[in-house]
Amino acid sequence: MKFTLNIWRQNGPHERGRFITYEAQDVSPGMSFLEMLDGVNQRLLGNGEEPVAFEQDCREGICGSCSLVINGIPHGPDQGITTCQLYMRRFSDGAFITIEPWRAKAFPILKDLVVDRSALDRIMQAGGYISVNTGGAVDGNVILIGKDQAETAMDAASCIGCGACVAACKNASAMLFVAAKVSHLATLPQGRPERARRVSAMLEAMDREGFGSCGNQYECEAVCPKNISTRFIANLNHEYLRAGIVESSLPSEPESPHAESS
Amino acid sequence: MTRLDSKIPSGPLESKWDRHRFSEKLVSPNNKRKLSVIVVGTGLAGASAASTLGQLGYHVECFCFHDSPRRAHSIAAQGGINAAKNYQDDGDSVGRLFYDTIKGGDFRSREANVYRLAQVSTQIIDQCVALGIPFAREYGGQLANRSFGGVQVSRTFYCRGQTGQQLLLGAYSALCWQIERGQVTMHPRTELLDLILVDGQARGIVSRDLVTGRISAHTAHAVVLATGGYSNVYYLSTNANGCNVTATYRAWKHGAAFANPCFTQIHPTAIPPGGAHQAKLTLMSESLRNDGRLWVPKVSSDHRLPGDIPPIDRDYFLERRYPRFGNLAPRDIASRAVKVVCDEGRGVGPGGQGVYLDFSEVIEQQGLEVVRERYGNLFDMYHRITGEDAYQVPMRIYPAPHYTMGGLWVDYNLMSTVPGLFVIGEANFADHGANRLGASSLMQGLADGYFILPYTIGHYLATAKLLSIPDDHAEAREAIQRVETRVNRLLTVKGRRTAAMFHRELGTLLWNHCGMSRNEGGLTSALQSIPKLREEFWRDVMVPGSGSAFNQELEYAGRVADYLEFAELLCHDALHRHESCGAHFREEYQTEDGEPRRDDGRFAYVAAWQYRDGAVPVLHKEPLAFEFVPPTMRSYQ
Amino acid sequence: MGLAMTGLGLVVFVVFHMLGNLQLFEGPHALNGYAAFLRDMPIVLWAVRIGLLSMAALHIGLALQLSMRNRRARPVEYTIHRYRQASIASRTMAISGMVLLLFVGFHLLHLTAGVIDPGFADRRDPAGYRDVYGKVVHAFQNPFMVVLYLAGQLGLGLHLSHAIASSVQTMGFEHAALNRLLKAFGPVIGLIVVLGNVAIVLAVFFGIVR
Repeated sequence: MKFTLNIWRQNGPHERGRFITYEAQDVSPGMSFLEMLDGVNQRLLGNGEEPVAFEQDCREGICGSCSLVINGIPHGPDQGITTCQLYMRRFSDGAFITIEPWRAKAFPILKDLVVDRSALDRIMQAGGYISVNTGGAVDGNVILIGKDQAETAMDAASCIGCGACVAACKNASAMLFVAAKVSHLATLPQGRPERARRVSAMLEAMDREGFGSCGNQYECEAVCPKNISTRFIANLNHEYLRAGIVESSLPSEPESPHAESS
Repeated sequence: MTRLDSKIPSGPLESKWDRHRFSEKLVSPNNKRKLSVIVVGTGLAGASAASTLGQLGYHVECFCFHDSPRRAHSIAAQGGINAAKNYQDDGDSVGRLFYDTIKGGDFRSREANVYRLAQVSTQIIDQCVALGIPFAREYGGQLANRSFGGVQVSRTFYCRGQTGQQLLLGAYSALCWQIERGQVTMHPRTELLDLILVDGQARGIVSRDLVTGRISAHTAHAVVLATGGYSNVYYLSTNANGCNVTATYRAWKHGAAFANPCFTQIHPTAIPPGGAHQAKLTLMSESLRNDGRLWVPKVSSDHRLPGDIPPIDRDYFLERRYPRFGNLAPRDIASRAVKVVCDEGRGVGPGGQGVYLDFSEVIEQQGLEVVRERYGNLFDMYHRITGEDAYQVPMRIYPAPHYTMGGLWVDYNLMSTVPGLFVIGEANFADHGANRLGASSLMQGLADGYFILPYTIGHYLATAKLLSIPDDHAEAREAIQRVETRVNRLLTVKGRRTAAMFHRELGTLLWNHCGMSRNEGGLTSALQSIPKLREEFWRDVMVPGSGSAFNQELEYAGRVADYLEFAELLCHDALHRHESCGAHFREEYQTEDGEPRRDDGRFAYVAAWQYRDGAVPVLHKEPLAFEFVPPTMRSYQ
Repeated sequence: MGLAMTGLGLVVFVVFHMLGNLQLFEGPHALNGYAAFLRDMPIVLWAVRIGLLSMAALHIGLALQLSMRNRRARPVEYTIHRYRQASIASRTMAISGMVLLLFVGFHLLHLTAGVIDPGFADRRDPAGYRDVYGKVVHAFQNPFMVVLYLAGQLGLGLHLSHAIASSVQTMGFEHAALNRLLKAFGPVIGLIVVLGNVAIVLAVFFGIVR
């Protein structure tokens, strides 16, 4: 098979980018999309040119590194997979394929198709955890969690943090990402004590990073390689409303444990 | 001269760890604040260690080459994590997990370490539940278990097929908390390229910022390597493309002994390579062997389609050779049996690299729906990759390098032979002996990171004499100089061949001569070819671009350069071990039925290799005593 | 959140507005009586009017603010961008909103303030009420007005079909079994409102009501 690739090249975050056209030759239908790009890069290297930079690692759809917008759709034309799981037999021979990076203010381009997604890490650092120290945890079976509840938490927790939701969203919003994490922890009893603080802190961090807002178009869900449902966004909104109500009814300054009542 | 002192506490096995913890010196809280630790790698071991050390009050500098700590390859582990909880009341116990692990490792691991691992395993589950990991549950709300990897009890905890992902995200979230608290400073997209030793103690690292190319020194009071395994030395493996040996290999060159490098596990059920373009191999869950039957045509000249070959012309080779275990024979045994039939020219698919894994019988007996329900996602994955429908035609599978039991030698405290250099997770040689059981790698990574290292490193920090050193210490400057020279050397070769070409050639060489089965002739010839390939590399490698910018090809070439040296060490170890044990199969040492022959009289030791500049590495032996589990022959016939 | 709340407030208004209008079918007496009933409580009427206007202003302001922020969130657009499942309505909220704004402005000037076509502004019916009925019938006998009003209703329908379900999502209503119902809720309400209004326009135009 043969393809014509229109690939975004950009030297650095502050440089101007442009599309350059490459030919991909001797492609077999059994090649993955990334292996096809490997081939293009090997040829570029053979000519002493700089290869196209793109992010990849596990190549089995779980690490969340790969991040290409292929013909206008993050992770390409198939649903429920990452770019590394896309195979060339999916394209017709001779096709013209446009490859772009994730585009969002919060994801500055580092080089060619590689973007900086550390904004997602910073959202996690703002509150995407349960504050428990190592050691001293109670026996795992002391906390009973219904099967359905555990499954729902797992549905949300399967997010791989690739950022396709942001890439697909008209507003470059990270709501599905935040919703997945917030819902995962809010569904489980272990995550409840901190739920109000968590949702507020994570949404604040999201705004700070320059992501847009949710327009409820559900494009994020359609490109999510793990099929994470936008119902979790409703859940996130619910958590946020709840946090507003619960937090405002709490005393703003908890009494010091050492304060003596006289 | 390296001296191997395993520092195993004396006394009864059951109380070694408890007594050891009590006798360890502690660091007072206000002193912890003044101490810093470098943790390299953010997989299960690294992330759990960094977060726990941060909680304890140390300042942690944490490094990973990924864009985010969450992407470390622990994320890809599917099956589950073992723990001796005995929730199923099916006879499990710490003792039994200990016994299974020692025996599964073919009697090449330390009893004291393995016992501690089994003890700690139960705490891991509790900790992970507290962190919010959504383990599978029963309807009543209790934790669910399954049996995994051919053991007789159900002790494996799991999160669908994404256990590694969930455990890593748990450790990552704990890490996020410590980053937020300022206890951990995270350096993503930063690669370790050298170690800094001051007065013989590990005091820092030299790293390269993968975005800007800046090479800089970071000093601390101790260094922890959690940098994973080296299966990628084979070019094609189930590891992520980024996994590499650089950190551990650089440490080896600074005097840390490397133990049992030849113990490399080959997983039997990967999708066969499709051609020269293949970048990595995809693992399929071992559970497929519960219902699928492995076979090849009886004669090599049989080129009929699988459906046209009548049963009488098929060789169900695992059932034939191991009637008791059949298609469920352990990983190392199944892999080797596949290799045998493929070497006989009876392999199927492109290049004869593959055997059939046939579900037609179970589909006929139990119906398509049952099979779809059990394995639907795996069949889909297979279909996506190969374009074949495994409901109609048998799957093809082929073994792939997967996990490396070998690694840097560590004592009971997880410290290498370089004082102040600790090694955890797959990067150390640790607890799996010559073969790892399923669902044990996650257990070991978290045991090291959450529960063992945080204790043992404290003793070191409390007792070692550690003057504070600046980042521009003479040793640091010298180390930076070394790294810069090497980077420049890679960039100035300006040859004609890409790093990938060398890597692929090395991988093929190793796979053929130091793969699933090894012999003296092959290993000797590999030891002759590798230096030649390495010379060619440094003469003819092509690395474009500059060192002071984002340059993926430069990163890769540096890693390949280290593989080209490390491969030699791997072959030396394989050559010297005149026995077959676990994953290490020497053709000269087998029984008449082709079963491995272990030699406990001569080889019941850990082979720890010491680096010598320009010469064959020196072998040190740590004898293994089996006080509690007398060695027996593994037999699955 | 603010956008959703003001939006839902306006939805409540259009529903009642449509129901009130349907009294046209009960004849002049009912409709004119209803109008007089409203005008008999000037304080309530003006309070509601001011409330509605400020809600609309807030709604528009928030929408502008949000869309500006969203535009900033993606400074460089994709060369090719394909939608997977976003509805036409959701992709045209800005346009349908603008159409709606223009229409409402026209509608207020026309039937409320009587600036457009002022002939009917103060005419009384036999019972002494203001002849709203006659004004409406007069207006929709004019094909030009019919086209304008139908276009406005198209804008309203489009806007509502995304807006209601979207607001429900934003307000965080989520229920495993009721979810599909909640999601279907929006387009259905939108459709009912539009059908009710369109029925009035067409009934007059085709002479069913005269």
